[in-house]
Amino acid sequence: MVTTATPNAPATTAAVEPLVRLDGIRRHFPVYRGNLLRRHTGTVKAVDGISIAIPPGQTYSLVGESGCGKTTTSRMVLMADAPTEGDIYFDSRPMRQFTGAERRNFRASVQAVFQDPWSSLNPRMRVDQIIAEPLITHQKLSRSEVRSQVQELLNVVGLHPFHAERYPHEFSGGQRQRIAIARALSTRPKLIVLDEPVSALDVSIRAQILNLLKELQSTYELSYLLIAHNLATVRYMSHIVGVMYLGKIVEESPPIELFTNPQHPYTKALISASLPAHPRQQREEIVLSGEVPSPLDPPSGCTFHPRCPFVMERCAGDVPILKEYTPKHFTSCHLYEDGQTAG
Amino acid sequence: MTNDVILKVQDLQTHFFTRTGVVKAVDGISFELRRGETLGIVGESGSGKSMTAWSILGMVPHPGRTIGGSIEYLGENLLEKSAGEMRDIRGSGICMVMQDPLTSLNPVFTIGDQLMETLRLEYNEPRRSLRQRAIRLLANVRIPAPEDRLINYPHQMSGGMRQRVVGAISISREPNLLIADEPTTSLDATIQLQYLRLLKDIQEQTGAAIIFITHDFGIVARMCDRVAVMYAGRIVEQSDVEDMFDNPGHPYTEALLKSVPDLDTDVDTLPSIEGQPPSLDALPVGCSFEPRCPYAWERCQEYPPEFMLAPGHSSRCWRAE
Ligand SMILES: Nc1ncnc2c1ncn2[C@@H]1O[C@H](COP(=O)(O)OP(=O)(O)OP(=O)(O)O)[C@@H](O)[C@H]1O
Ligand SMILES: Nc1ncnc2c1ncn2[C@@H]1O[C@H](COP(=O)(O)OP(=O)(O)O)[C@@H](O)[C@H]1O
Ligand code: SF4
Ligand code: SF4
Ligand SMILES: [Mg+2]
Ligand SMILES: [Mg+2]
Repeated sequence: MVTTATPNAPATTAAVEPLVRLDGIRRHFPVYRGNLLRRHTGTVKAVDGISIAIPPGQTYSLVGESGCGKTTTSRMVLMADAPTEGDIYFDSRPMRQFTGAERRNFRASVQAVFQDPWSSLNPRMRVDQIIAEPLITHQKLSRSEVRSQVQELLNVVGLHPFHAERYPHEFSGGQRQRIAIARALSTRPKLIVLDEPVSALDVSIRAQILNLLKELQSTYELSYLLIAHNLATVRYMSHIVGVMYLGKIVEESPPIELFTNPQHPYTKALISASLPAHPRQQREEIVLSGEVPSPLDPPSGCTFHPRCPFVMERCAGDVPILKEYTPKHFTSCHLYEDGQTAG
Repeated sequence: MTNDVILKVQDLQTHFFTRTGVVKAVDGISFELRRGETLGIVGESGSGKSMTAWSILGMVPHPGRTIGGSIEYLGENLLEKSAGEMRDIRGSGICMVMQDPLTSLNPVFTIGDQLMETLRLEYNEPRRSLRQRAIRLLANVRIPAPEDRLINYPHQMSGGMRQRVVGAISISREPNLLIADEPTTSLDATIQLQYLRLLKDIQEQTGAAIIFITHDFGIVARMCDRVAVMYAGRIVEQSDVEDMFDNPGHPYTEALLKSVPDLDTDVDTLPSIEGQPPSLDALPVGCSFEPRCPYAWERCQEYPPEFMLAPGHSSRCWRAE
């Protein structure tokens, strides 16, 4: 059994089959011009060849600038979108080959909680209806069974039984996020996709929700795919972190190692840009030149090379490959080949 | 050095007169700001941060009204100014800077036209010299090849560049006071850092004072000299930035600082603040933090006045009595 009582417990993945595995996933969107005579003018490489594994009971986090492909990845994991190349495995079965029954089982086993608790809940439904909706679509239950499960779920997420009869507008942001979590838990999922679950919440509420998510993870052995900008939140929540840049994973590692010993120049810039928690604490700020390039026309070689402070001659030509330079720590950067190290 | 004081807000009250009752969005707050100084205002959603800013700008939306106190800007009370005078002050002395630059640039005019229009209001000069000024301003905010950029429309620039253009427009007005109200949702760390550095640049070039409204203590630590913590329409703690981080006086500030995860340390469980932020139309009679406060006792049924913890460091909490 995988326990998550201690944060960032070393990934016990070696022997354990991942719950979800992405193998060489690409998602390319065709781009058209013109309204009447649509011409195919290019391709957006939103996700461009990523392979990651989410172990049971653990949190895999994706970080990176907006537009780098995090949400597109999570949509494919949710089966809301399909890769244009590569396979996604759930419980070792490729999604492409799912039977009808497997697909139904998958829909119950994978749920999502989104950033905005204001728009993600149907304002015309009562809280008990919101929470019970996925439950009813996946199981045949009597009315009293539904009621008792809703009561239990409200209790699990720290809401009161009388909240069942209220409507979303009667709740604060933090409470609405609790409702969304209760709804996601209703089908007893194995994986929950969390897309910026606390960034729209008040600071004084964020810790409550993060703690609740961690507690639920260890109680129910949940896996999370977490997408978050705030690196401190990622460090607090994760077992593995993948850093994305322009549709690719450029570095992957357990969080403590990643944040104390970042290797990829982009990761270094990202960490240096996250603000220290105390005014006397200084971080060296690496300011990147240039802008995030368009995934429509990504740079050649290492796609980070136009902005990289350590760029070398070969970076514009050769595509670097993700390699394990230290145990469990993967980086895709020419600096680490031939035993060199970044400054 | 009182002539260094740019803004002096005293006992400011801005209330909303709604059908269901009076919402005391800003309920008696006071602070001072000197030239070149940055004040951070932090607090929950709805605690009155933005309404404080709109009150200073004289732009409180209906059905709100500033009903008490004073706002002295360069020694004159803004609450006694006419609408026209306030418009002039907003055009030059006091500027609001938007973090999202798309909302403040007009999509149908070129960057050059928009910059020169602003400059024309300030300097009555021929177009050619306005153009030179515009190029210099873009160069000041580090836009490469500024001459070529004048003919760009906003959508032809990246987000970071648009931010710089808006920065250039702010500098052109040579403001005494910049107010930056950060949206609740966060930007990417690398883009956010660019924006913070831009504000610091503007401040260095113009000597402006800045009010930075934020949810993020990291931004306060990076940017501010002083900080005011708001809760339910009042400033509950005010202090120099380092003193606030080292010796938070108010239980709310203390809990807030502890509940923020830190990139450099590991904890098992974050200390969290239980309960919900208060609703302004149902405030407790006493201390508004009382329902969530771990230290609350009978005394707290009465609203605490401002106590001084150290010079320049105040807290509205009976524990400081
Ligand atoms: N038009 C209005 N009618 C009634 N109440 C209003 C109106 N506009 C604002 N308020 C109330 O005034 C209070 C202060 O609002 P304000 O916008 O200053 O909050 P804030 O601290 O800036 O929050 P945020 O961090 O979410 O931006 C809130 O309780 C809000 O509900
Ligand atoms: N349906 C679509 N058609 C074309 N481009 C898309 C589509 N969905 C996403 N993209 C593009 O793919 C890239 C990655 O998007 P996304 O996964 O939403 O980024 P993130 O979640 O990391 O901010 C972006 O450049 C986005 O504009
Ligand atoms: S491969 Fe080259 S350009 Fe890319 S991150 Fe490494 S050093 Fe920089
Ligand atoms: S006055 Fe009382 S309730 Fe309010 S913050 Fe201080 S101790 Fe807590
Ligand atoms: Mg996204
Ligand atoms: Mg606001």
